Amino acid sequence: MTQNPEYAIEVTNLTRRYKGFAAVDDISFTVRKGEVFALLGPNGAGKTTTVEIINTIRKPTSGKVTLLGMDVTQKKYKIIPRIGVLPQGFSTFDRITVKETLQYYSRLFCNPNTDINGLIALVNLQDKVKVQYRNLSGGLKQRLGIAVALVNDPEVVFLDEPTTGLDPRARREVWKVLLGLKKKGKTLFLTTHYMEEAELLADTVAIVAKGKITAMGSPGELIENNANYLVAMLKSVDENVFEIVRNMGLAPAYDSQGHIKVRLTHTEDVRRLLNTVKDSGASFAGLDVRKPNLEEVFLKLTDEPLAQGFVRIKGAE
Amino acid sequence: MKLHILHANIIYANIIVSIKSFYREKTVVFFRLAFPVILILVFGTIFMERDNEIFDLSIQDLDRTPSSEQLVEAIRLSKRFTITKVSPAVDAKTYAKTHKRNLIVIIPKDFEMSMMQKMESDTFGTPVSLNQLYDPSAFGVTTKLGVLDMVLAGINQEMSGKPPLIVSEPISILKKKYRFIEFFVPGIIAMAVMTASLFGAVNVNAELRQKGVIRKLFTTPITRIDWILSNVLYQFILAVLSTAVMLLVSYVVFSVSLEINAWLVVFIALDVFSFVGLGMILTRVAKEAESASAAADALMFPMMFLSGTFFPVEMMPEFLQKFARVLPLYYVNEGLRAAMVSVDHAAALKCALTIGAFAAVVFVLGSMITTLGGEST
Repeated sequence: MTQNPEYAIEVTNLTRRYKGFAAVDDISFTVRKGEVFALLGPNGAGKTTTVEIINTIRKPTSGKVTLLGMDVTQKKYKIIPRIGVLPQGFSTFDRITVKETLQYYSRLFCNPNTDINGLIALVNLQDKVKVQYRNLSGGLKQRLGIAVALVNDPEVVFLDEPTTGLDPRARREVWKVLLGLKKKGKTLFLTTHYMEEAELLADTVAIVAKGKITAMGSPGELIENNANYLVAMLKSVDENVFEIVRNMGLAPAYDSQGHIKVRLTHTEDVRRLLNTVKDSGASFAGLDVRKPNLEEVFLKLTDEPLAQGFVRIKGAE
Repeated sequence: MKLHILHANIIYANIIVSIKSFYREKTVVFFRLAFPVILILVFGTIFMERDNEIFDLSIQDLDRTPSSEQLVEAIRLSKRFTITKVSPAVDAKTYAKTHKRNLIVIIPKDFEMSMMQKMESDTFGTPVSLNQLYDPSAFGVTTKLGVLDMVLAGINQEMSGKPPLIVSEPISILKKKYRFIEFFVPGIIAMAVMTASLFGAVNVNAELRQKGVIRKLFTTPITRIDWILSNVLYQFILAVLSTAVMLLVSYVVFSVSLEINAWLVVFIALDVFSFVGLGMILTRVAKEAESASAAADALMFPMMFLSGTFFPVEMMPEFLQKFARVLPLYYVNEGLRAAMVSVDHAAALKCALTIGAFAAVVFVLGSMITTLGGEST
């Protein structure tokens, strides 16, 4: 892969091993300038290791990574002033206020012209300026973390699981801030295990599982290219239906509302499913059949059962 | 991670944040500034009285004659004892146990008669005896017996009407007379700076590492040297502040006579460098905040008690004195006392060179193994 000025990030055959275990296994991809790129994968897939190699915190075992045209293993101190990082589980000095925190990080970047008030407004923390970090809620802490990642007006911003651990409302507030950055044309590199987050924010999504990229493209492309099946959902079913569906050789799963979801490879499977359940005399309130969404595509690509993702996504982790 | 040049503005930013974090945490302010002062006030008060100590003394006069009363009065006039009279009707041993007396002087029933006989015969025969009932397990009773012997010797000499044949004239090796508090204050300064530097380096670094703050700092232009120097300078500023408070209280409350000179700053700086360096090594080796703190405790306590902070090492057995001389705090204690009490520049220089060599080794080692990132680079 040759260096291209169009790309902010170029990753070529990147591998990172820990005691023989490949956390990142020979992955390659590029991120265009001004693009929002999401690395989507379950916990332990290698997302954080990948992002930490790109933003110079870790060293790769092999492969090459260039960021803004510079080798990340050679030019750390030239790269750092041009990037912003929100690490996973961002934390800062407990007894320092919101404004002081931003002033501190601004000084670290030797950037006296940072528009501290502008950043505070960007993340909507105007009424928390004098509040110490320890007294902020989880969502406010993450928003401050995003503002900290922007103190040096970076060209590329890395956000490692920016909404993990937040309640749904706080998560949406963070998304609002990130959408604002997207509008400003910043290159954003996002890691997440929330499908909704990737679908809402990202131009390109790379699905990563067990250290490898299993699919990559825009959310629409991923669905289009990988949705070669249908999702059927049986509503308000009696207890026998689950066994009946399984005996058909299908892989049913309960979702969080107690409905049965099942992947169907052929359209005639719909008629077969309906007839089999009807013939058994079991009762059900309705059957929905539709194309899969990104979440269901993700679960298929990462070899996870259909319902598993739902339980995790709906919960406030 | 490469050793890049240091950035003055980054060090300044770190110091400002550290100082703000410090004064906003009241418990830390208390332990850093007030605790050493409390130690000085408590120990200073206890040992201040010891310098001119007046002992309690119980006397049971079984003779109840003018001679025995004169003896009691003579002991009282020595001004070394506050006398409590014990009724001749009680059992002295029982009285000592129930009233927690560690020494009762018993004037025997035939005291006056024996005295008269002794004075009339004017020979060197058996002296007139007083009984001393004492508790050998009691703290300070030996000193009390020694003082009583001195007082009785004076009374004996006065009664004999002859001048003493031999007297000793104490000549101090120091220019002025010094009290225990003047020995104690430099020791507390050395100890307070040591504990604050060691625990400051261990706790702050381990906590920030565990919370992920250092991970975030690694994504900024801050270098390892910036971070280490920020830590050292911050600890030095607090050490100077804490020392100023300790000295101020010592001057105001105890009117101490201690010399303030450049050595004081030198020893505070070396104390900070030594123990911040040691703290950095512990943080890196122990990794977990709790185990780093435990290791700091294990290092600190023997140093506190064996390196001459609270009492001179010469009071300890020979093998412990040898052990004390390998402890870095011993040289800070000795150096500060040489600088502030005896004003012996040669001794201060010798101590400064020893602790300076130790500081250089641990500080360089600490700097080499400290990393800001999640893995050694």
